[in-house]
This record gives sequence, structure tokens and C-alpha cells, in this order.
Amino acid sequence: MTQPRLPEGRWIDVEGIRTRYHEAGKGEPIVFIYGGNFGTGDSASSAYTWSNQIAPLSERCRAIVFDKVGQGETDNPKNDDYTMAAVVRHAAAFIRAMKLPPVHLVGHSRGGYAATRVALDNHDLVKSLTVVNSGTLSPGVGTNEVVLAKPPFAAGTRECVRWVYENYSFNPKVVTEEWVDAVMHTLSLPKYQESVRKMGAEKLGSKLFLPDLAREKRETLQWINEGRLQRPVQVVWGFDDRTAVIDRGIELYDMFAKHERRALFHVVNQSGHFPFREHPERFNALLRRWVESLA
Amino acid sequence: MMVFIHGGVPGVTPYASGPHIWGRQDGELVTVTGLTVEAMTGSVRKAIEGKGKCHLIGHDLGGLLALNLAIEAPQLVSGVTAVASVAASPTGDGVGDLTFAHPPKPLWSRESQRWALERISYSHHHIDDELLDACVAAAPKPMAPETYANEFVPSLMKAKSRFYEVCRMEGIKVPCQVIWGSHDPLATFDHGQWLFRGIAQKQRVSQFHVINRTGALPFREEPAAFHQLVAAFNDGL
Repeated sequence: MTQPRLPEGRWIDVEGIRTRYHEAGKGEPIVFIYGGNFGTGDSASSAYTWSNQIAPLSERCRAIVFDKVGQGETDNPKNDDYTMAAVVRHAAAFIRAMKLPPVHLVGHSRGGYAATRVALDNHDLVKSLTVVNSGTLSPGVGTNEVVLAKPPFAAGTRECVRWVYENYSFNPKVVTEEWVDAVMHTLSLPKYQESVRKMGAEKLGSKLFLPDLAREKRETLQWINEGRLQRPVQVVWGFDDRTAVIDRGIELYDMFAKHERRALFHVVNQSGHFPFREHPERFNALLRRWVESLA
Repeated sequence: MMVFIHGGVPGVTPYASGPHIWGRQDGELVTVTGLTVEAMTGSVRKAIEGKGKCHLIGHDLGGLLALNLAIEAPQLVSGVTAVASVAASPTGDGVGDLTFAHPPKPLWSRESQRWALERISYSHHHIDDELLDACVAAAPKPMAPETYANEFVPSLMKAKSRFYEVCRMEGIKVPCQVIWGSHDPLATFDHGQWLFRGIAQKQRVSQFHVINRTGALPFREEPAAFHQLVAAFNDGL
């Protein structure tokens, strides 16, 4: 089967950060936020993560994916602000810079946290929220370390990248050469290597990124529990994800559902951490029908 | 084609289910007949034979009938949606359920059925005159207690046992989704999840969905969300 291709990337200035994005289609805007963070040496997310969504969903919607600050092709954060707060601010600023009407925000993994926080901080930018397999947002224990600690290949090699994504997935065959190529490309960028140095050698990962995220996560969960989201929300979960197990999804859904009538929970079988890559046709159908129901 | 299969055991369930329980749907509404799960499954089979592959959408016992038919005659079934299918979910050593205890008499009168429908709903707003009129018109003859105990219940246990055996062994051969009401008083979230887990053992295309602020009749309480899930499932088939 031919994989859909990402449309040609474009650039936009987002408060001084040169930002890469890809878009296609017209109609209700859907903005995708992928997971991971800057400065990881054994894997690297980019807009490619959502390559199976943009073209297929563009038939009826305006589908947009951008590279987060410090990830993919987008510039690194200014003033060494390697924090999730900077990622969230940049994501909101991107939506504003694109002059989009309120968007359907879809976030996966760490992007699920970022999308939720964008919505909580900027209600006017967001029409609905979809959170996909986000251990970062869920209150329970994430198990990435249990599953992915110390890959048996050298960081930055194709073998290592393949091993990481295979272990995220239910079916290792979904980790195609093209996916590995996309990750290797990001890892090869000098500005990305700089973020690896900052997060690793300069210890910004442990000194800045993680403590900041922990502090902000506490606040974010409190806000969700207080009912501050005030937007329709759906939680989509790959049933076989070992890094963010199904219980994490249930906990998260329960938090949202207490305050929002239009709260749906979806579980997709034979899927690991990336249900939209393992079952793109099913994921896209759910998302398209969700957007249409709220149009 | 979408085929809607109602649940309810005539003369036992304190509201009279039937095709009317679905309200207006874009598909065929079948009338289930028979006193055992086998006979009921046979009545659904008879209704759909010759109509091409059907997406069977079954509520409660209707969900089990749909799954049963998918096992028996997968050539007739393109997919199954089991909605609030307590009948198909694992029985376990359940705690006695008081939801339907002490229904007001006379049974299957308008007020008694309103009472029962309110008890299984998150909100009473969907219980309108149209539904109550249809329920009263469908008021069943009570199933004789000995028929229920000696024929229906054993047939239900046998059908469930076969269903979970197939789930474990060769698997259900058609795509399936389980839709659950977040506040179903007749079954917990876990009941729905374990029905899904059963199917998911061998069927790759299986999904589990929860519709918020609904009870045992999620398609009546949140019809838009229900249709959205059914349509998305059809899109992905």
C-alpha cells in the first residue's frame, strides 16, 4: 500500500522562531501536535509522525502539522528555554500566527500534554481537544523507562531508532524505512544535535525540562479536575501500548468526563503507542466524524 | 446495510423492548422472536438472509445475538456493534443488581415501564410519549418462570460460553466494536472493557468506545455521538 505523503513544508515566523509546517485541504482546521521532546538522541519526532493523517483528512478538513520548537526543522528555543512551557507557548503562538479560527487540536503523547495545556491557557484558539496515548498527561505512572531503557544499539543509529519505535508499536512492521529515514534526518540536523548537547551534556533535561514539566503537570491536572477545559474532548488509546498502558487512558478520560458532556473514549485494538500509524484508516474515520459532529 | 437488533427478554425485562427502542435509524429494525438464544439468533438470521453482508448493531441481548450470528454465519455479517451488551459481557460472580427491584405494578403498564426506563438512564429526557406508547403497545406476555429458568437462562449461559471460547480460539471473524454507556447501572465500565478484551484477543479490527453521561440506552440518550461512532466504524470497514 502506498503511504500518503506529507505536503511540501512551508515556513512561518512564530514570535521570532522560524517554524516549519505542512498543511492541506480546506474547511474545519485540525492542528496536530506530535510527541517526544527536543534533545533525545535515540529517537526524534517530527511532522512526519502524522504523515498518514494530513493528506487523507485534507479531503474534508484543513489539516495542519507543525514542527514544535526545537523539534523537526523548527528553530531551537531562544535563551536556552528548553521547557515544556516554551513548547506550549510556541504551539499557541503558531495557531495565532496562522490566523486560524478555533481549531480541533489533536495531541499525541507529550503532544497530548501540550495540546491540553494550549487549550487550558488559550480557550479562544481551541474548538475541541483529542488526546492520543499520552502518558505525559495522564496522572498515573508512565512506563517508558520500563520498556525503552538503554536500547541495545548505539544512540543515533538506524538500529537504535528502529528498536525504539518497534518497542512502542504492537506490530513492529509498521516501523518502515521511510519512518526511520524521517527520524534519522531530524537527528542529523546540526541544530537538533545542539539540543541533544543542551539536554544531555549540559544537563538541561534533568535540571530544567523535567522539573518544569512536573511542576506544570501538577497545575494542568488540577485545572482539568476543576473543569477548566470547557471544550469537547475525546481520548483515543492504542490498547497494547506498553509505555502508556490502557489504565492511563481510562484515568484521563474519567477526569475529562466529569466536567464535559461531549467526552468520548476510544480504544483501538492491536495498537501500541501510535494508533494513528498502526490503524490510520480507523483513526482518521474517528477523527473526521468527530470534527464533522462539532462543525 | 445496517441492521438493528433490540435486546430485552420478553416478559422478564420490566420495559418492553423491540424495534421501537431504537427510535428512527437509517437501516433495518428487526423483531427478535423465540424463547432461547438459539431461536432468537435464528430469527435474526432469517430476517437478514438474502440481503447481502450486514453491519449488525445489537443492544444488550441483541449484541449477543449479533455476535452469535457472526460466529454461525460470518458470510452474512460485515461487522458487529454491541451496544451496552450486558448479556454478552462476562457474568462473573456478580453482585445482585437492584436496578429493577420492586417495579411498580401493574407490570408493563405505562407508569411501570417509565419507572424501568428511568432507572437505566442517565437522564430521563429521552423517555417521551412516543417511546412509552410503543412500549405499552409492545407489552409482552410474561415468559413462564419455568421457561425462563429451564430454557432461556441455560441457552444464554451456553451461548456466552461458546462466544468466549470462540474469542479465545479461532476468534470472531468480523470486525467488532463495543459501545458502552458511562453510567450504565446494569453493568460497570469493566464489563464493557472485558467484553472488548474477549473479542480483541483474536480480532485485529476491534474497538471499545464510551459515550459520556449515558446509561443502558446510549443510542437514545446521545444519538449524535452514537451515530458518529457507527458511521466512523462503517467508514473504516
